[in-house]
Amino acid sequence: MPHAGWDDFQFDGIGTRWEIATPLQLEPSLQAALLRLVERFDADWSRFRDDSPVTALAREPGRHEFPAEAGPLGLLYRSLYDVTGGAMTPLIGGSLERLGYGAGYSLQPSGPPLPAPAWDEALKWTGSTVTTKAPVVLDIGAAGKGVLVDLLATELEAAGVSTFIIDASGDLLVRGPEAVPVALEHPYNTTQAIGMLSLTGGALCASAANRRAWGDGLHHVLDGKTGRPVRTAVATWTLAETAMLADALATALFFVPGPELQQSFEFSWLTVFSDGSAAYSSEFEGTLFT
Amino acid sequence: MKSAVRKSVYAGIAGLSLAGTVAGCAPSATESAPAESSGSSAAGTSAPTTSAEASSPAGGGSGYKDGTYSADGNYVSPNGTETVGVQLTLASGKVTDVQITQHPSNPNTRKFQGEFAGGIADQVVGRNIDELNVSKVAGSSLTSGGFNQALEQIKSEAQ
Repeated sequence: MPHAGWDDFQFDGIGTRWEIATPLQLEPSLQAALLRLVERFDADWSRFRDDSPVTALAREPGRHEFPAEAGPLGLLYRSLYDVTGGAMTPLIGGSLERLGYGAGYSLQPSGPPLPAPAWDEALKWTGSTVTTKAPVVLDIGAAGKGVLVDLLATELEAAGVSTFIIDASGDLLVRGPEAVPVALEHPYNTTQAIGMLSLTGGALCASAANRRAWGDGLHHVLDGKTGRPVRTAVATWTLAETAMLADALATALFFVPGPELQQSFEFSWLTVFSDGSAAYSSEFEGTLFT
Repeated sequence: MKSAVRKSVYAGIAGLSLAGTVAGCAPSATESAPAESSGSSAAGTSAPTTSAEASSPAGGGSGYKDGTYSADGNYVSPNGTETVGVQLTLASGKVTDVQITQHPSNPNTRKFQGEFAGGIADQVVGRNIDELNVSKVAGSSLTSGGFNQALEQIKSEAQ
């Protein structure tokens, strides 16, 4: 959906649809540079490409110098690994492949679920240098899209474009003076929103469980401690300075409650649960419809 | 950024009764389906979840055999790669039921519990995006890719 009167530069990248909205149309040379950046990022980080360093590290242990974005990404992943007790890890790729979500897309499990290896036993991530002690499958899926959003923003700003909206299929980054009205998509009905907010300068990312009905069949599963139906997070939104942080924390909210994450990270959050209730930090106050 | 503890914000009941919300699953599933699924009437159905062998050929010349088909599709979300299970029941070349299942390994199904320091709403309320004055939608409507992928697999198996 375009921002009124603005130009939209649209393309596909890392498996999703992108829109960059700007007051004036971007120069063709800048558009080409942005597309090269997307391709470069995919070539560096995709575990689905035979030619990527990630694929090489999956074949045999070794050492690889990733591009500069690997520095902050590694630090963030390590923090999340610690905060979530190992639930969020860049070493989840092997577990995904075991379940059939590897490059071959077999969609057939090749064995029982495989826990990710412990970080300190398999991985050393210092700055942008990744050293592995065993063949491991890196997967930066929880933050990768946000990292690319930030890289594209940096590229735009370096080219003198200071006002823009990057929309990576529902994960947004806004720069410039403009306040962008944004709807918060209903987790079970894409034609509806559950709230609205005005986004000025910053990233708004969302994460959702697979689309189902309220209750998720869990209305019949009661928690004996409370006598209430068990409750799971089904959709999350986060506001943060960078898209990398917002993207990663939108996932982390499925593992760790918002108030706990706020002790470690600067961000705002909104979590909607399977029973239709919601919880949120102060910055989301007043955004939900009533 | 320590937000002050907010008193609960009770939004009231949004009219989403249990029965209504269970039935509400179906439209959200069928809306992702492509045009071939005309005639789907999944709302409120309670089709068996067990898979049936394809039984009789479709009469309408659609080229699809009747039966219940299951397939998984996957898609890349901000959570990484996720999967969606799709089960279609075909009768006379038309989709008569759609069931969406969640992969048990999906970390999002993990039980989420905790105390909340921010505000809470008893029940979120949906409004049509068409009627809102917004430029963008923040959400994760990525399931359709996986759904369509699974559907393609079902189409090829049903032929």
